[in-house]
Amino acid sequence: MISIRDITVSFGGVTALNKVTVDLSDKVVGIIGPNGAGKTTFLNVLSGFVTPKSGSINAFGTEILGLAPHRRSRWGLRRSFQKEQVVDELTVEENVGVVLDSLPLTSGEREQYLAAALEFTGLTSVRHARAAGLNAFQRRMTEIARCAAGKPKVLMLDEPGAGLSQNEVDVLRRTISDIHVFNGAMTLLIDHDVDLIQAVCSSTMVLDFGSLVTSGPTREVLSDPRVRAVYLGVEEIA
Amino acid sequence: MELASSMSRSNDETVGRHGLPVFWPALLMFVVAIVLPMVAAALWLKVMTSVVIYALTAASIALLYRKLGQVSLAQVAFMGCGGWVALRLAHGTTLPFELSILAGGVFAAVVGMIFAYPALRMRGLYLALVTLMAAGGFGILVNVTQFPNGGDGFMGFAVKSVSYMPRPLLAQSDAAYFRYCIAVVFLGFGLITLHERGKPGRAWSLIRKSEAAAMAVGINVTGYKIWGFALSGFLAGVAGGLLAGNLQLLDARSFPPAESVMIFALTIVGGAWHWYGAVIAALLYRFVPALLNDVGISGDAAYIIFGAALIHALMTAPRGIAGQLTDLVSRLASGRREGR
Repeated sequence: MISIRDITVSFGGVTALNKVTVDLSDKVVGIIGPNGAGKTTFLNVLSGFVTPKSGSINAFGTEILGLAPHRRSRWGLRRSFQKEQVVDELTVEENVGVVLDSLPLTSGEREQYLAAALEFTGLTSVRHARAAGLNAFQRRMTEIARCAAGKPKVLMLDEPGAGLSQNEVDVLRRTISDIHVFNGAMTLLIDHDVDLIQAVCSSTMVLDFGSLVTSGPTREVLSDPRVRAVYLGVEEIA
Repeated sequence: MELASSMSRSNDETVGRHGLPVFWPALLMFVVAIVLPMVAAALWLKVMTSVVIYALTAASIALLYRKLGQVSLAQVAFMGCGGWVALRLAHGTTLPFELSILAGGVFAAVVGMIFAYPALRMRGLYLALVTLMAAGGFGILVNVTQFPNGGDGFMGFAVKSVSYMPRPLLAQSDAAYFRYCIAVVFLGFGLITLHERGKPGRAWSLIRKSEAAAMAVGINVTGYKIWGFALSGFLAGVAGGLLAGNLQLLDARSFPPAESVMIFALTIVGGAWHWYGAVIAALLYRFVPALLNDVGISGDAAYIIFGAALIHALMTAPRGIAGQLTDLVSRLASGRREGR
């Protein structure tokens, strides 16, 4: 359970997030909204790259705003980026294992977590290959493996489906749905693909112009007239 | 099929990544250490000793450039710090030579850590300027204090009858000292490899890719950046200590700030992505001018060659001469595989 209270972020005169208050408790929660709605800023606040002007975030009993970004990751808050951040010169296993480096693990535990994460994302066969030779889908999966390895508490995936083919999105959908079973973590998923959101997210929050429009079960949220208005615009009655 | 081809491509690239396997450089260094002192004249042995020493400096520059994407134009000043401390300890105490150069390396590492602070906030050209100014400052400092040379005690300065820095017990002669330097530099290269293949190497790669991505996987970006500068400073400091032992005398002119720029440029020309790029850089820096002098051309002509080589490297060979050699070897190897 993540309780977000009154989070406000402004960049100069622009209010990127405006008193966002929401409780997230489902296994996979979707975050949707048009471009510039504040979705990525919301993730940046959670991962510590942006310091909010006000508000508090309590995740599973820990006040996380007081933690430095790398400490949040060690605590169990992982994220992927819109532009994937896989390092070409490292192998797949190094790219994934780097997240386990800063955790107090024995080499046996490390290997166990690493092998499990690679298996989970279907990367075992390319484990020793350099990331430079991977295709776009394998790079995405490498990043998801990096987020999922070990015992994280929250995974935040920022548009993981962007640029993937339909078949690849299908695999991605199954993978995301299985994260909770795999390591017990909760997933926050940003994506523009409403089908993907509908398929994997039991609840969804909608942002527009930095404000929370609504949040709740995905089906209800997607049929909410306010959400339709955010995406499709309001019909002007002449 | 697509996966298979991408895998074979990446497996080819693993060869390029660490250059040659560890066995070959070790063997090569061993052979050079044994054979060269037997065949080279005294002058050339001195030249080759400084090539070996500057290879360590070039490796320390390449480490920062390759792993952290940082440009340091102060490595010769770091050498100066290390050389200074090693020389003074040798004259002022009865410490063994090894401990003196180790202390020089540690002192340069501490100075390197101080350098890391501006590097936390800036990079590229701005950081390069800061390091260059610091190197200039070091040059002024040693000129003002008259770099304590072979006089007695810690701050001894002698105009006449300077005493020479004692060399290690095992390596009194030039030939033995050459071999001694090879051994130390080999250990230095080993230290770099150990870092690169382990946790710090992975952390540095992530930091170079994106600091945000590094933080997101739990890497203490500040800590690892400082560690990178400290290691680079340490290696340059040890190289400075070795240089002190080679010349057995250092003075204010031993570490001109402009040389930092030269050795940085040559590291790029040699190739910052391969261990032997540093060796090529050192050969260009010390061996080529000596060779030109030997055949009757002013050694300064080397600077023209270096300039052309730098332009060549920037335009056509971003991985330097070592990168071109590696590509050539892997092309030949794959040609041979296909021919079979």
